[in-house]
Amino acid sequence: MGAWGFVSLAYGIVWGSILVYVVLLKRRYGDAAAELAALKSTEAISRDAEK
Amino acid sequence: MALLKQAYLLVWKDLLLEMRRRDSLLTMFFFGTLLLFVFHFSFDAAPERVAEMAPALLWLAFLFTGTLGLAQLFQPERENHCLDALLLAPLDRGALFLAKSFFNLILMVIVEIIVIPLFWILFNLRSWNLLPQLFLVTLLGTVGFCVLGTITSAITLQARARELLLPLVLFPLMVPVILATIRCMENVLRTGEFGDAIPWLRLLIGFDVIFLTAGVLIFDWVIER
Amino acid sequence: MAQSSQPTRKRKGILGALALVAIAIGLFWSLVVAPPDAYQGDAQRIMYLHLPSILTAYLSYFLVFVGSAMYLWKREKRDDLLAHSAAEIGVLFTALTIIEGSIWGRPTWGVWWTWDARLTLTAILLLIYVGYLMLRSLTEDENRAASAAAVLGIIGFLDIPLIHMSVYWWRTLHQPPSILRPDKVPWENVHPSMLTALAISFAAFLLLYFYLLSLRYRLGEMREEIKARRLGREA
Repeated sequence: MGAWGFVSLAYGIVWGSILVYVVLLKRRYGDAAAELAALKSTEAISRDAEK
Repeated sequence: MALLKQAYLLVWKDLLLEMRRRDSLLTMFFFGTLLLFVFHFSFDAAPERVAEMAPALLWLAFLFTGTLGLAQLFQPERENHCLDALLLAPLDRGALFLAKSFFNLILMVIVEIIVIPLFWILFNLRSWNLLPQLFLVTLLGTVGFCVLGTITSAITLQARARELLLPLVLFPLMVPVILATIRCMENVLRTGEFGDAIPWLRLLIGFDVIFLTAGVLIFDWVIER
Repeated sequence: MAQSSQPTRKRKGILGALALVAIAIGLFWSLVVAPPDAYQGDAQRIMYLHLPSILTAYLSYFLVFVGSAMYLWKREKRDDLLAHSAAEIGVLFTALTIIEGSIWGRPTWGVWWTWDARLTLTAILLLIYVGYLMLRSLTEDENRAASAAAVLGIIGFLDIPLIHMSVYWWRTLHQPPSILRPDKVPWENVHPSMLTALAISFAAFLLLYFYLLSLRYRLGEMREEIKARRLGREA
């Protein structure tokens, strides 16, 4: 494997991993945001029901 | 000083408990000796090479033996809600830290005083005259181990898989001590005096001082309800 | 806890975009503009990854220290969140640094691994903060996990200079001085565009780091809020 082979390997692993991490974070972010919205809306509903 | 007096009382309590049943001490001692046997079976080393490997093997033995002691360190407090009682008492938490560290130190020193000469006998080493210097280095290293180990033992108290987590957290932090003690001992065994290894000795003492101080200051936040 | 407001989300978006631009420019400069090293050839370009990532990792661990100290002092959840997020990202960058260092070593030294000072140091660092994350996940009570981790965050950081000293002494005391280190910056033959590439890469990594940190932090905040609302529900 020539020098450029090693360079591509290194750069590939680094930016690949970072990309994977960003995707993972964004996915969990979305899940959490959805859950939060759901919790808030049911709270609003129960509050309205009490009125 | 109130701090030292409290620490003294706590050490005395732990020593009394230990002397009655001698659980930790005996387990540590036999484990340390067992490791020596295992080492002997693992290496078919010529006498000259054994002298080279002695510091490393000894320290491996002490690290694992010490970890056993650390796992047991807060055991008395975990039974019968003793920890709550201790925390309610008007004690400086730093005193608890000093006491536990010192208690573990005593246990380890007792084991080391027997195991090191045992090693010399089992592996047919001749350099008996160097033992005092080696003991000094071992003592300094053991202080570092006990100090960091007590902190680690306390913070992993409530964790699952504690027996695995404790060494996992502790050993990387111990690298300076491991390097310093082994290099010092190697130098002593090779040249008969500290000489070039003095910087390592200073590093060891510095390590001990830093984490002894940090432990006393930080222990308030380590153990709490 | 307040929800992330519009301006904050916008700022995060801008940060992300800036990071992306800097990364692109950095890549161009590192791979195209900067000349190959006189001794190591093109393999030396890995340096433009290696130095910034290890520095970002150290920055991260410093933030873990700050967050831990603040948490023990003020007991505010946000400091604990900072420490946790910084530890997680720090572990990521440290792992990447080791991989980069290993790959750099192969064409220059002929081996995938060597116990030289820097690689060893980075490996120890990784172990310490992986231990931090494991401690957090294995401790069941939330508050105790936070306190325990905070103590470790402080002790670990205090240990770093000592570990540095001991590992460097160990590796250099009996080492012949002529050993070529693959991760040695080629100061003797530095071409100005190499320095530029390095500077841009540093900037890119920093921007990226803070972007990741803000994402992770916000995620932690949301999880806290979810927990709080759930608990309030059951009350």
